[in-house]
Amino acid sequence: MVNAVTGVLIECDTTVKAIIKNLDSKHHFIVDDLDDTHVFIVSTWVERLKSELERLLDENAYTISDPKDPKN
Amino acid sequence: MSVINFKTNIYDYLETLPIFTFQRLFQKPATCLAIFRLLPAIGRQIVMSILYVENPISLKDIQSWVYKDGHKKLQEALHKLSKLHILEETPEKGLIVNSTFRLEFKNALSGGGEHQSFGLPCATVDKHKVDIAFLDHFASTQWEAILHYMVGTTMTKRPSRGVLNLLQKSDLMNSTASESGLHITNKGFQFLLQDVNTQVWAFLLQYLDMAEMLKMDLVEVLNFLFQLGSLELGQDYSVETLTETQQQMLEDLGDYGIVYRRKKGSRRFYPTRLATTLTSGTSALVTSLSKKETGTAASSAMIAAAEESHDEGGFLILETNYRVYAYTESPLQIAVLNLFIQLKSRFPNMVSGVITRESVRNAFLNGITADQIISYLQTHAHPQMRKRAPLLPLTVVDQIRLWEMERNRVEDKAAYLYKDFNVQADFDAAEKYAKDLDVLLWSNSKQRKMVIAQEAHETLRTYIKRRLAGNRDTG
Repeated sequence: MVNAVTGVLIECDTTVKAIIKNLDSKHHFIVDDLDDTHVFIVSTWVERLKSELERLLDENAYTISDPKDPKN
Repeated sequence: MSVINFKTNIYDYLETLPIFTFQRLFQKPATCLAIFRLLPAIGRQIVMSILYVENPISLKDIQSWVYKDGHKKLQEALHKLSKLHILEETPEKGLIVNSTFRLEFKNALSGGGEHQSFGLPCATVDKHKVDIAFLDHFASTQWEAILHYMVGTTMTKRPSRGVLNLLQKSDLMNSTASESGLHITNKGFQFLLQDVNTQVWAFLLQYLDMAEMLKMDLVEVLNFLFQLGSLELGQDYSVETLTETQQQMLEDLGDYGIVYRRKKGSRRFYPTRLATTLTSGTSALVTSLSKKETGTAASSAMIAAAEESHDEGGFLILETNYRVYAYTESPLQIAVLNLFIQLKSRFPNMVSGVITRESVRNAFLNGITADQIISYLQTHAHPQMRKRAPLLPLTVVDQIRLWEMERNRVEDKAAYLYKDFNVQADFDAAEKYAKDLDVLLWSNSKQRKMVIAQEAHETLRTYIKRRLAGNRDTG
């Protein structure tokens, strides 16, 4: 029997996909893991996911202007 | 990202006007000339070629003027001309220049006919005559007062009520209920990065919109704007030939720094450089304004040097290490730079800063795009930078674009996931159906799963139901 599930299709690169998988291991919001660059998630999680991603990516970004560095 | 493109093009505006407005616009030689000057080069060429031809010319003949590979450009130009109602098509498939336009444009070229359309220079000598330098100064202080107000520097006086009104109407700034005063919007940030001529036009177009609301005669307003474009800088003109609407406009335009009058009710007015460059391309004004900015406080020797080297009018140096050195002391330019650069230190004639991920992201949050930042850096590059090719360090340009892309690393779309098809043929049919409807977002034939856009769910469900029911009947 054919099933239809509502949700949100997320398209992303593989790096982000890995982060999403990692988040999912704690929070379980993925409905179906489609392939390397697509994942189907619960629609209520979209905003939360975006802000989590933002935070994680920010942590990993290299900034040249370190305020603690006296040379700058 | 909510980026609304700001309408800055007078073309787009003109094209929306009905034909009888054009008929009235064409009655003024100055307007004809101004519209002609706004045309692309091919358009001007066509108009010049057939202006004195009284009979319609067939499209074929015009097409034979150009090589085969130029046909597309010709077509574009012809399309533009007919949109502006300069070219008209006769019933016999011939093209002819609009008769009013032909007559008045000839007048503009040869100086015949009614003459006041180009403004009436004052017959008497002005006792308080002003020179071009004064007008330039007046124009830039008035115009910058508006921009200063937008970026929120407090050093200049508040613009007049009319200006504030216009800023608000055009959504460049809006007022929030919680705080008093106006706040700059996304559109306003984009506006600041444009060059002056674009800004002036954008402002005037908003003014036109408002003029319609105030029941001012649109044709008179447009005629006056176009007339201003053909006036001579440094010459004083009499207000006598102007209509009441146009005299009312003088006051508003004075607030923007487009015309100068010594006092309200003065019988003469001077167009400033902002006015005279309206229809003649952008470069003149930008150069003159930035020259002034760099020149005001610098020593006279520096002005001379600046004038020699500042032909391009740039003041920004961008290094491959993301550092920016801006040779300016204009608080306005510094404020604009502050939108996307993290400023570090300030010296009497320059500021330096760094383009960082953080500073650029702040700009993105304000609705500024990477392209706008890059084009700003490009147009204001220091002459020293212009010696190199490419103009801007590629690393920095690429990184700014990457930072922009980074903001959109995930794309989300509300959707429905279809799975558990029992028969491959059912899946294939449903997949094809979704594809034909252009709602298929993702599919995997092996896993028999597919994702379709949310809005198509009902349609597809009915389709699959019917197909499955049909299968059962036949099977």
